[in-house]
Amino acid sequence: MAFPLPRGITPSEIAFLAEMEMVTIMPRQRLEGLELLGGPIEPIVPPRRASLPLWLALLLKRQRRANILPPSWLHPGSLELILDIEAHHNDYRHAFSPPPPLPGQPNVRELARGHEPVARPQYTPDGERYFASPPFLPQNAAESNFDPTQVPSLPFHWVEISSMLLDAASDDLTDPDQIRRLLKDIREVRMAKMRAGVDVLDAAATGGGGVALTGVGAMELGEERGFLSGAVDNLRKIGASKEQARREQMAEQRANGGYDATQDEEEDYMEF
Amino acid sequence: MSYYDIDSILTDAQKLPCTFELEVPGLGILEGNAGEDIKAGTRLDLPLWLGEMLSIGARLGTSRLVTLDMPEALSERVLNALKADPRTVDLRSLAPHFYNLSERILELFEEEEMVDILTDTFKKRAAEIADHAHNSRGAVGEGVEFLRGLDETERQLFRAAHDRAKEMRAWAGQVKRK
Amino acid sequence: MGAMPQAPSPQPTTHTHFLASASPTPHIPMDIDDILASVDRGPGASPAAAGIDHQLLTRFWVAERAVSEVLPWPAPLMERMMDRVRLQIETIEDLAASSADVDPNTTHNPNLNLRLSILQTDLARTQYLIRSILRARLAKLTKHSMHYLVHLASRTKNPLSQSQSQSQSQSQSAVPQDSVPDISAVSDFSPLSAQESTFVHAHQSLLAGHYGSAFMGAFPPQLRRLDDNAGGTSMVQGPDLKEVVFVRCLGTEVPVLVDGEEEDFGVTMRMGDVWVVRWEGGEGGVEEGEVELL
Repeated sequence: MAFPLPRGITPSEIAFLAEMEMVTIMPRQRLEGLELLGGPIEPIVPPRRASLPLWLALLLKRQRRANILPPSWLHPGSLELILDIEAHHNDYRHAFSPPPPLPGQPNVRELARGHEPVARPQYTPDGERYFASPPFLPQNAAESNFDPTQVPSLPFHWVEISSMLLDAASDDLTDPDQIRRLLKDIREVRMAKMRAGVDVLDAAATGGGGVALTGVGAMELGEERGFLSGAVDNLRKIGASKEQARREQMAEQRANGGYDATQDEEEDYMEF
Repeated sequence: MSYYDIDSILTDAQKLPCTFELEVPGLGILEGNAGEDIKAGTRLDLPLWLGEMLSIGARLGTSRLVTLDMPEALSERVLNALKADPRTVDLRSLAPHFYNLSERILELFEEEEMVDILTDTFKKRAAEIADHAHNSRGAVGEGVEFLRGLDETERQLFRAAHDRAKEMRAWAGQVKRK
Repeated sequence: MGAMPQAPSPQPTTHTHFLASASPTPHIPMDIDDILASVDRGPGASPAAAGIDHQLLTRFWVAERAVSEVLPWPAPLMERMMDRVRLQIETIEDLAASSADVDPNTTHNPNLNLRLSILQTDLARTQYLIRSILRARLAKLTKHSMHYLVHLASRTKNPLSQSQSQSQSQSQSAVPQDSVPDISAVSDFSPLSAQESTFVHAHQSLLAGHYGSAFMGAFPPQLRRLDDNAGGTSMVQGPDLKEVVFVRCLGTEVPVLVDGEEEDFGVTMRMGDVWVVRWEGGEGGVEEGEVELL
């Protein structure tokens, strides 16, 4: 039974996933609370802001039943800052700008002040630990108070969310043309970083190794995944005989009691 | 080697230069002389699967029936060209399954330097492949020449990158139409 | 789901006809006692639990689509989801029926159609996830059917059926079906669901029968097997566990394992990191929920 889709979710499925992100709306009419399969929706009463999944916010927007308040990062000012970091900041010459932190993860400034990350789990109905991640984190809410100490960052679904909002809710955005230009520039800078990364891909081709792509967007990953995984898999096959030899050497060292697995760490760690 | 994988089967059929170390009665059919013997010292190009089988004795260090040589596709001359500029080499004309063949050869011969050269070759060519795959206008000029020289593994990589870029553009267009 | 009003299709529209009939639990009309019982099931039935389950289902969908092997079937989660889907369809049917009763000139509830379309869209989106998960799994199962059957059969204590079929293969009456492992005594189907195990066995038996009548019957008896490994190449091909995957580290720190072995690890991923690693190196963290597939 052939499954027509390739490994990894496709661009339209990535957009489907992005539509689960919660956004802020300003309703223009009332709506009763609803028990959805995706979780409960609170009653909507104007002029109170409400938080809704993007697909529902877009449905209401298209019927002129609500306006969407843009996420705090989707403003010309925020995007200019992000572009500046992507293009000029020394720490991110070969890496993407830092993504919004996960719950319990310190942001860049807190990290500099020595805060340690501590993952904060929720619990599933089966009693297992569950760590929430995009699209189920409030990374696209509109800030009610602008906090100048917060450095803006691009959420995982930035490409999809910005495309969909520019298309369906551009009248809710501040200077949509400028936003479009900035997004295009950001995308180009980041694409160039992705391309340059081919050079370090062999780090992911060895057992226990890897290549860091921290900060990559879902759609950027979706676009490159076929190429990246194909390239790494072939590098692994080319290097298989060498890896085997190295494995045997390590086993020999271990047998003699001298091998420490951590000594490999530095050599395998690479970042785009 | 994967049982149902057509590329793997085709790789198995690629020819490898072999030298017979012993006289083998009745095996002349390999040279096209049915019924004759094969003399010691005869050089023949044999498919990878057969050469590998006949050379097993050699690798075990017992009586060697044949010894294997590097195929032309991985000769010193080719490796030097790859070291100079991997992007100008037509891999497809050397061997349609160039990388698959190399992987099999590297299982037979211990050639650390070859691993390094091939790794570097692949990375440089892969970067070029990505550039062409994301170009919506298709290959132009020198690109056509380069893409024609891709081996089978590289072609599949090009296809994977190209298809995803196309889907991505299709999605972006769809959002605007709505 | 005969009476369900036509739901708007979810964003990615693919062929859905096949899986409409492949859902693990067929649509059985429930009576009110069943509904109350399922509502009464405790914390798992609360609206907040519905939200978490939806997140788990979504994560499982992305994961199943990202790796080459079949992931462990999350039976309790899928049972809860199927229950909720069934209840939601009832809710929508009731609401649609009440909207049909209302005289269009006296619209008591102007939001009825809006609510209906929201509920239908939400249902269609959930159904898309479930279908896509099942189809992705069936595709892997049929691609590696012998591998999964051999894997399941290896759990049975009694190796008799195996040796029996081996001796049969020497006789003139040997058929390719002889090499389809017998899983009738298997009780632990992990990573498959019970329905998937039945499916893959039936699938492979049909395929073997077809091979036999189409061409393998013309081969010498000893060449009619589908699990041979003469010449060093096994006919039984499993998924490639060394392929790379894209992961995000959710726990505080998670090491990438070498060959999937606990004591041997390479780089360490930190919270919020995204990495390209071999599936065998990240699988452990995914099982623990400390790493997610992208």
